[in-house]
Amino acid sequence: MLQAGPAKKVSIYVGEDHQYHGQSLYAAILDFLFYRGIAGVTVVRGIAGFGADHHLHTTRIERLTENLPVKIEFIESPEKTAEVLPKLHEMAGTGLIEVQDTLIVKPSEVSAKHAPQVSALPLKREGKAKLMRIFIGENDKWHDKPLYKALVEALRANDLAGATVYQGILGYGANRRIHREGALHLSHDRPVMLSVVESEEKLRAFFPVLDQMVQQGLVVLSDVDVIKYTHDSREGERRKEARP
Amino acid sequence: MKLEGRAKMLRIHFGEDDQWQGQPLYRAIVEKCRALDLAGATVFRGIEGYGASTLIRRPHHLSFSHDAPVMVSVIDAEEKIQKLIPCLDEMVAEGLIAISDVEVIKYVHQDGARS
Repeated sequence: MLQAGPAKKVSIYVGEDHQYHGQSLYAAILDFLFYRGIAGVTVVRGIAGFGADHHLHTTRIERLTENLPVKIEFIESPEKTAEVLPKLHEMAGTGLIEVQDTLIVKPSEVSAKHAPQVSALPLKREGKAKLMRIFIGENDKWHDKPLYKALVEALRANDLAGATVYQGILGYGANRRIHREGALHLSHDRPVMLSVVESEEKLRAFFPVLDQMVQQGLVVLSDVDVIKYTHDSREGERRKEARP
Repeated sequence: MKLEGRAKMLRIHFGEDDQWQGQPLYRAIVEKCRALDLAGATVFRGIEGYGASTLIRRPHHLSFSHDAPVMVSVIDAEEKIQKLIPCLDEMVAEGLIAISDVEVIKYVHQDGARS
């Protein structure tokens, strides 16, 4: 929750067409800031501008309409700002990030209860860990997007080690209602399970977010031993090569 | 129904083609779980696997024959799970049944929120 007093104002300038892991960059940054519990963010689309490459982007000439400038702006405490800046630096790519000192005269207020903030804890990825399973329905929504998708985004934004979504073919849960695939696989009300392996502290730190997002379903934890958790940075290239 | 704290997770692995009294075994198991008032059951279809018979199960492309591996996962209090085991003994002719400890973090539903 923002307090009146000194704070930081961060502005990130990117192009509307810029991409980040297959989705639009400004949307990815917005999601990241949202799930990291930033107090508030505004995205503004410019009508004309140019950047480091000195290409003029404007709505006035039709063929130059693409890649209009987008400004993502938020105000946060210096600590919180410092916490998200490294990731923003990585995400912004060729864009520009500006931080200025500002003074909050009156913080904005929330009407309902707000999401508790989650602090990042160091990752521990070998040895004893916990496996969290979340059972929900494929149709469950969170802010108009599929809940399982929102959960994966939230987990990623909170730096959890990884998540996998499984689709069931039949099942029932707390509401006693049978979920199953319909004829010709046209029904989309199948059971869905997410599985996440992480240290117990990181999982518990995520519970407040989970609590707010999962309105119906089952969440369980069990003990696991992590045997291997590796990442091959060359994998992307190898996959490209394998393509015909 | 309430479910919290320590609980058990039971997982049953078998084939999608396995039958019980004329219907798919996985469906029969889910119905049995409901009849016994267990908290929930979910069936997952695997994409490949092998089991006790060491026969590789693999869904055939371009055909309606499946026999993919199937797993049913059931979570409830230990007493409830124990009640299910004798039924499974009878129903599952070939497969694997395993139990593990879990801690229930959340088990919620909204009354009447979904029709």
